[in-house]
Amino acid sequence: MTRLVALNSEHHRNLRIDTSKIEQQGAALRMVPVMPGEFLKLAIDYPIVLTKNAETGQFVCVALFGFAEGENLFWQGDSWESLYTPLNIARQPFFVGADDGGQPLVCIDEDSPCVRNEGERLFDEGGAATPYLQKMQGILAQLLDGERQGAEFVRQLQQLDLIAPMRLEVTFADRRAQRIEGLYTVDEEKLQALNGEPLQQLHASGSLARIHTLLTSLGHIYSLIERRNRRDAAAAA
Amino acid sequence: MNEPTGKPIKNIVVVGGGTAGWIAAGRIAAMHAGDGGMRVTLIEAPNIPTVGVGEGTWPTMRNTLRKLGISESEFLRECCATFKQGAKFARWVSGGEDDFYYHPLVLPQGFTKMHLAPYWQRDLKPYGQSFSNAVCYQEQLCERGLAPKQMTTPEFASVANYAYHLDAGKFAQLLERHCTQKLGVRHLRDEVLSVNTESNGDIESLNTRNSGALAGDLFVDCTGFSSRLLGGHYQVAFVDRGDVLFIDRALAVQVPYEKEDDPIACHTISTAQDAGWIWDIGLTCRRGVGYVYSSGHTSAAQAERRLRDYVGPAIEKLSVREIPIHCGHREKFWVNNCVAVGLSAGFLEPLEASALVLVELSAEMIAEQLPARRDVMEITARRFNDTFRYRWDRIVDFLKLHYLLSRRGENFWRDNRDPASVPDSLRELLALWRHRPPADCDFTSNNEVFPAASYQYVLYGMGFETEVGSLVHRLRDGKAAAEHFAANQKATTRALAVLPKHRELLEKIHEYGLQAI
Repeated sequence: MTRLVALNSEHHRNLRIDTSKIEQQGAALRMVPVMPGEFLKLAIDYPIVLTKNAETGQFVCVALFGFAEGENLFWQGDSWESLYTPLNIARQPFFVGADDGGQPLVCIDEDSPCVRNEGERLFDEGGAATPYLQKMQGILAQLLDGERQGAEFVRQLQQLDLIAPMRLEVTFADRRAQRIEGLYTVDEEKLQALNGEPLQQLHASGSLARIHTLLTSLGHIYSLIERRNRRDAAAAA
Repeated sequence: MNEPTGKPIKNIVVVGGGTAGWIAAGRIAAMHAGDGGMRVTLIEAPNIPTVGVGEGTWPTMRNTLRKLGISESEFLRECCATFKQGAKFARWVSGGEDDFYYHPLVLPQGFTKMHLAPYWQRDLKPYGQSFSNAVCYQEQLCERGLAPKQMTTPEFASVANYAYHLDAGKFAQLLERHCTQKLGVRHLRDEVLSVNTESNGDIESLNTRNSGALAGDLFVDCTGFSSRLLGGHYQVAFVDRGDVLFIDRALAVQVPYEKEDDPIACHTISTAQDAGWIWDIGLTCRRGVGYVYSSGHTSAAQAERRLRDYVGPAIEKLSVREIPIHCGHREKFWVNNCVAVGLSAGFLEPLEASALVLVELSAEMIAEQLPARRDVMEITARRFNDTFRYRWDRIVDFLKLHYLLSRRGENFWRDNRDPASVPDSLRELLALWRHRPPADCDFTSNNEVFPAASYQYVLYGMGFETEVGSLVHRLRDGKAAAEHFAANQKATTRALAVLPKHRELLEKIHEYGLQAI
């Protein structure tokens, strides 16, 4: 279960974070929202796709970890198998909440398995934030800004009618085929047809580069299939 | 006598606004947008009120909106619109408190592969399971107030087949704005005073109060009950169907929700009364409720009492409109260069929300089959008349079916079962259905309005029995039937788990909109 509360230097003075357990929080996630600022780092390993937020129907960029619900093919045994951990995983157990006035607030999930008796301190004896906490606050600030940038990126894509459903049919080594629904990408034909003012704006805002990074990252779907095949083979053995 | 000329048909004049006028103008303008010579003008008098009670639609409206280029999110936001998944008919059979059945919009499970009706009747009905629940999951969605789609479902796409309930006045406003701003329809706010005719009887132009003579090649009569061109000018006879469907009055009222978060019904509720029935349609901002009744079977005072009983004491603060209903249609709909769409063509009680779908079908046929030249218009006109006469007849039959299968004892209901009031076409089909279920082979015209499935839902919902005895040699697919019934149970469980509450979904759509893809 989760227990989300605002971080308080009095109340949480002696809290410690077991950083070795952070990535484990994402072990059962099939995907996680990502921000345009991370695209280049994500492109090393992850397919970057678009999907709809279940509550609002709005598009959001995500890194894909698996094919089935709850399947994370990057979590093997007890470690995260990638050079880069997406920020929405790395920020655990912290997240950004809001106070009564709508101002962003650093919050923590008190029930997270990361919250232990040993590990990184959040506050020193005097109640000041430790370098570790400052680092995490920095990540949260990045994410807050990144969420805004992500929304702007999606808005640009929609304005130019560039979002298209991904028609994805994957066949695994055991010959089982699965049609993957609910994922979207950038329509390359429509992208190619852009010129003049809209193309210039896309380039000037940095979004054109991000689009290309996203499109390049789609090749990782094949690596994902390989991971799944290896996992299936190991399970069968 | 003049021969019809090869004059191209380019100048379309729609007379009358409202949903009929704007859907007609919009469909024609949208379909012929590529033709630079085509000109669509809609003229409406500024002070004639529209009827504003046509509030239920069919799934065809999704397609109509798409063809017009209107987004579903915009439509839902601006017209107080909600989703409709079918109709609940309460108290139509015995009149008792728990007497109801559903006519849902989703087809029965496996309908293209086999008919489950005889298997249901033989195996499941004796144990109390209704036909609708046995073969379809939609009744359960309606009973629990669940919507037919999710926030992640694209515009116009469905999880469960659906139509809309809408505020007709707001819909007309949205259509007007869209047609004039996006589809190039010219809007004249002016009165038509008289008609100028050509020697062959065609309308040459309309004399207007402030805009001179308005010429046209084709005139679309959307003037409502007054039918000024088709009925008034051309004197086309009105075919009274009151001998079959007795209802001739409506009392309509707009009922506010008691609390802001009261659930919104996801289906039309039709509750039978002693001399007619009460409709209850849920929009986002209010409910539309009305009692349609036969003045020959009850008094106005009694009718008002019935409506008050249904709505409750809140009705004291509400204004109730009385609307006379002439149940029937014109003998022809297209004469010379004038075609009627909407109330000007006819009207029947709104038991199956047929008014707007007839508008859509008429507008579609005019747009798609618009005669290129005057000398082929006679052919199109004849085909239009045959097509829509067939459709009006089928709707009359289907509505009558609801009355024929009732067992209520009041005079209105007994009189409705009098064989003299039953069209032969309906009587014959019912005779056949005594021995086998309604099937596609009973509905072979391209112009059918209701599919065989709809007849099954009403027939078996109202307790009609098909004698399985004459069929039993053909019931060899018991295993397949059982699989289909099980599949429906599974579909029901799944639908109940994934679909959101109706009001909640509408609120989110108002806030975020639906995605186009």
